[in-house]
Amino acid sequence: MKNRGIIIAVVLVLAAALVVYFSGGKDKGSEINLMTWGGDFIPRAIIDEFTKETGIKVNYKEVTSNEDMQSLLEANPDQYDLAVVTDYMVDILRQNGMLEQLDKEQLPNLVNINPVYQGNYYDEGDEYSIPYAISTSFLLVNPEAVAELGASPIKGYRDLWQPELKNKIVLIDWSVEVIGLVLKSLGYEYNETDPVKVAEAKEKLFALKDNIVRFETNTPEDSLVNGEAVVGFMYSNQAVKGQAADPRLQPVFPEEGMPIYIDCFVMSKEAPNKAGAYQFLNFIMQPENAARIAELTKFTSPNKAAEQYLSAEFRSNPMLNMPDDVARNTSFYIGVDRVLDQYEHIYSEFKLR
Amino acid sequence: MKTVRQNLLAIPILVWFGLLVGIPLIYVVVLSFMSRDSLGNIVFQFTLENYQRVFDPVYLKVFLNSFLLAVLTGIITLVIGYPVAYITAKLERKQRAAAIGLIMLPFWISSLLRTYGWVILLGSSGVINNILIALKLIDAPIPMMYKFSTTLIGTAYMLIPFMIIAIYNSVDKLDQSLLEASYDLGASRWKTFLKITLPLTVPGIAGGFTLVFIPALGLYFIADLLGGGQTVFLGNLINTLATRGRNRPLAAAFSVGMILLVLGVLAVYGRITKDKVEGLFK
Repeated sequence: MKNRGIIIAVVLVLAAALVVYFSGGKDKGSEINLMTWGGDFIPRAIIDEFTKETGIKVNYKEVTSNEDMQSLLEANPDQYDLAVVTDYMVDILRQNGMLEQLDKEQLPNLVNINPVYQGNYYDEGDEYSIPYAISTSFLLVNPEAVAELGASPIKGYRDLWQPELKNKIVLIDWSVEVIGLVLKSLGYEYNETDPVKVAEAKEKLFALKDNIVRFETNTPEDSLVNGEAVVGFMYSNQAVKGQAADPRLQPVFPEEGMPIYIDCFVMSKEAPNKAGAYQFLNFIMQPENAARIAELTKFTSPNKAAEQYLSAEFRSNPMLNMPDDVARNTSFYIGVDRVLDQYEHIYSEFKLR
Repeated sequence: MKTVRQNLLAIPILVWFGLLVGIPLIYVVVLSFMSRDSLGNIVFQFTLENYQRVFDPVYLKVFLNSFLLAVLTGIITLVIGYPVAYITAKLERKQRAAAIGLIMLPFWISSLLRTYGWVILLGSSGVINNILIALKLIDAPIPMMYKFSTTLIGTAYMLIPFMIIAIYNSVDKLDQSLLEASYDLGASRWKTFLKITLPLTVPGIAGGFTLVFIPALGLYFIADLLGGGQTVFLGNLINTLATRGRNRPLAAAFSVGMILLVLGVLAVYGRITKDKVEGLFK
């Protein structure tokens, strides 16, 4: 009996400690909690300037996937003010009722945003999200090395199946991207569900296996820089870094089209400091700041007014400032949840061959 | 009175385990029977579908793949680790401390960094290839990265200290008088090793094997970095399903499968050590 008393006492003390810890007596007026990708996705320098100007401290939580952000936000909606998530996650979060409907009265700088990047599938009325960074994925190619292997020049996805490219291709390691690339090469759309077309894509995917030296999501550009691959399918910011490291590397915007991703700011419905969050959003949308963010992060800015502040180098880089015909040839991965289970299964089967 | 005090000391660890191991474990098991809605949200509706999918032939191959990697890792670390442990245990006291220190030294460095070390060594423009090219032994770099064997090397490297320490402990505890008796009775060194040392260190081998086998199932970043994502192991699959794959119930079902696999290995370990201990005192 004595034992049980002690156990109960210890548990009570621990529980009390947890309650005190999580209720935290901080002053919420002077800080905002921001959650997004790491790697200086929102540059420190910009955040520091915001703190200097407004006195509002920004707590930056680095997260490695949209799904982790969703879990964190749904578990503690009152712990976060702002998050930057990828387009499809805006759609999920708004349907789950996690997002605050933005008060445009409080966002005077919203006029700076290019309407081309608004009104998309994940937020048709632009009620919940503000685009922050635009990226695409395409092929980064070492044309000399491709020629040396005796392969014909790479113009689109369909050129990846050339037997000369054996063990010379690096791809983003993600079923939806890889199967999407195969679907595009067959002239179909992303996230196809038609069983006949999917079966066709599966067969074609399996035929690509021997050409792939490596699947890599975080630093695929390294494989082109060090020469182990001559073609890579990667995100635009990675391709920019790759070309900076080796000027021989050239972007190829596939004829068949390419994916686009828009990472957007969203506000938690239960944000503890909404006023501070609006201030931060306006600060980010100031043209000068948006231009600096684009230069630092190597993502295309959705801020139309920022264009005049971008360096000539940035503006003339087609990877960062897409020509119109390329921009028209992009599409989102819509309806990922419909195909994920099937695509993951195909992808595992493909890798185990 | 003594038992009360002993129990008292056990309370912190019990609370610790209860909170940090027990609750998440129950959560994983419950999660593995849940369903999802069209948005990928988890809904509290009982289903066995996740387990049906674990038994899909493709996914069973993932289990087999991981099992193979873990067993081979165990064998490699044993073959390399046994002599190291044996020799270490026979060293002078000072040298022995130094040797153990060297074996433990890698733990001071992040495992991710050490894995990158292998990339620097084995890469196509890595140290080994550059040396071989400079010596004109080869013309073009030998591709050593992104294979099953690369993952195996990395995993074995990462886990070998566990094997060495486990075997070292059992060699160290060996009763010297048994060895002396064996020599006195005319057995050769080799025969003594086979008949006395080896059987008596089987618990150490089994312990080391278990300590290596279990984490080998889960070191998915090695398969990503060194294996180039060319094949699928359990750890990678669970990681993908739990994040971008947006299917945590299925990830949980795979985790339960992995736990059962580990329990199987632990059961074998329990049998081996129990037999040995009983055999000794019969």
